[in-house]
Amino acid sequence: MSERIKEHPILGVQEKGRLVRFTYDGKEVEGYEGEPIAAALKAAGVMVHRYTQKEHSPRGIFCAIGRCTDCVMVVDGVPNVRTCITPLAEGMKVCTQYGVSEKPFEEQ
Amino acid sequence: MKRYDLIIVGAGPSGLSAGIEAAKKGLRTVVFDENEKPGGQLFKQIHKFFGSKEHRAKVRGYVIGQQLLEEADRAGVEVVLNATVIGLYQDKEVVVKRGDRIEHYKGNAVIIATGAAENMVTFPGWTLPGVIGAGAAQTMMNLHGVLPGKRVLMLGSGNVGLVVSFQLEQCGCEVVALVDAAPRVGGYGVHAAKVARTGVPFYLSHTIVEAEGTDCVTGVTIAEVDSTFHFIPGTEKHFDVDTICLAVGLSPMSQLLKMAGCRMVDDAKKGGQVPVCDPYGRTSLPGVYVAGDVAGIEEASSAMIEGRMAGIAAAEYLGYIGKDEMESELASLDKALDGLRQGMFAPQNRGKQITETEEGIEVSQNLLLHGYVADDELERYPGVTHKSGVHPVIECTQNIPCNPCQDACKKGCISIGAKITSLPIVVEGSECINCGMCVASCSGQAIFLVDEDCGDGTATVTLPYEFLPLPEVGTKGKGLGRDGKAVCDAEVVSVKSMKAFDKTNLLTIRIPKEYAMKARFFKAV
Repeated sequence: MSERIKEHPILGVQEKGRLVRFTYDGKEVEGYEGEPIAAALKAAGVMVHRYTQKEHSPRGIFCAIGRCTDCVMVVDGVPNVRTCITPLAEGMKVCTQYGVSEKPFEEQ
Repeated sequence: MKRYDLIIVGAGPSGLSAGIEAAKKGLRTVVFDENEKPGGQLFKQIHKFFGSKEHRAKVRGYVIGQQLLEEADRAGVEVVLNATVIGLYQDKEVVVKRGDRIEHYKGNAVIIATGAAENMVTFPGWTLPGVIGAGAAQTMMNLHGVLPGKRVLMLGSGNVGLVVSFQLEQCGCEVVALVDAAPRVGGYGVHAAKVARTGVPFYLSHTIVEAEGTDCVTGVTIAEVDSTFHFIPGTEKHFDVDTICLAVGLSPMSQLLKMAGCRMVDDAKKGGQVPVCDPYGRTSLPGVYVAGDVAGIEEASSAMIEGRMAGIAAAEYLGYIGKDEMESELASLDKALDGLRQGMFAPQNRGKQITETEEGIEVSQNLLLHGYVADDELERYPGVTHKSGVHPVIECTQNIPCNPCQDACKKGCISIGAKITSLPIVVEGSECINCGMCVASCSGQAIFLVDEDCGDGTATVTLPYEFLPLPEVGTKGKGLGRDGKAVCDAEVVSVKSMKAFDKTNLLTIRIPKEYAMKARFFKAV
């Protein structure tokens, strides 16, 4: 997890919750319980959260405070979940969102 | 329907401050905030704040956040989180969404302290993953401890763009360029200078042509713009980056007020559509108040004062205090707020080009164009003096409301005087004892302790250092100039970290004496 800040010159070592496992598009990934899903994904190097319905163009984190809805994904079967403000829980099933589905466009 | 004396929307600096004042005066007060945690943006602010003691100057933003939360708790303010206010209706009815529930509340008074939202600009590729708001960068790195990117281009040279660029570097990202379509740096010169000296090049009168990449950002092209903001062909510059950060201003989130029927006005100087209100936040609707950025973009320090004012005004409106008490309390807050609204960056000076300081000294043009004061401009400022032995060199060249340096020096070497925006001067005949408190106390990191001639052909420079790894004594490297370019060999001869320095480490480097007034940063090699 090289994308995590190990020690910060001002904030020191940040306290995190328990390390838990969840899945991203079926693959097992680790993150800290309670941190936003988007933070765990970013730390795992994931950039694309969804593809838009009309243009099929990729979107990822933009505002990171739950305002822009660019980062929505299908979480535990529910589409349009704002991953930047939804806390990560153990065993969550996080999927890239294609339009409003977790199925890639060619399977829809 | 539940009823409160006072309902506050937004638990940021202004909302919490309003709640504290009101609750202290006996109002049954609730604060709703849509976020999981209170504090608004304060917990993302890791730099030391400007101002004077009464504005909590030289305290880092996140510490101010902790202090506010403790005060709110002590005062008995009820803070309800994950509660999005979706409506403000006639007779101060407030509709709140909590989870899947809609709840109705009634306030005898309401304070809207919803803050502001980031602006964005569009360019080909702007929707690609990897193009993020500066606020998103702060959220990722300072709240969640995750790197926003590795190689970053920052668009925007206002205080947000400058501060976030520095923060990105503090957590180990490389900022490859700081770009702004404006012809001059928009934020404080001292913020620009601390970024520039680490080696970030500034491109003023430039903006983004295109973000490149198919699934995420892999590069960016910028180009120079003319005075009408059109690209000048042939001036394109390309950078390999994985992240483009946008810091292009804020807009008040005033929708609830508009919805409630408050009289609104479009005011570009305030950042967009804002409610018409008096100095204490009273809107056109009796009992509805505003505080903080929602009434006009400023900063957290003034938002806290505005919040307190609105809280006091609401207390008087509901009869919890008398008019006399209100007026005397507001008068002292007026003074505090007035202090912050002085100087070159005061709201009333927005958009104006200022060429001279209050002292009549020519403003550094290099600072505005490239982010640092040029060698040949430096000597004209009163904080830059020469004497034998260690002495402070204060590279503070713009009138901003800030004075912790004069309190920091127990020997009285530094003076700003009664006017908080005056440039600091080095007091003649004063004796510097090399304690370093001024270096650590300067929120702008603009003070250096310099011994110009140690007698052996070398000089020493003590500089503020907030990066990791912290070099050890004996580390060899380069002294960097104000432009971030290596000017000479340097060796670390002292590293001081004290509680009183509040995480600003003091690095003393030994350099050839001809670079005493040039080297201002250290890079290990």
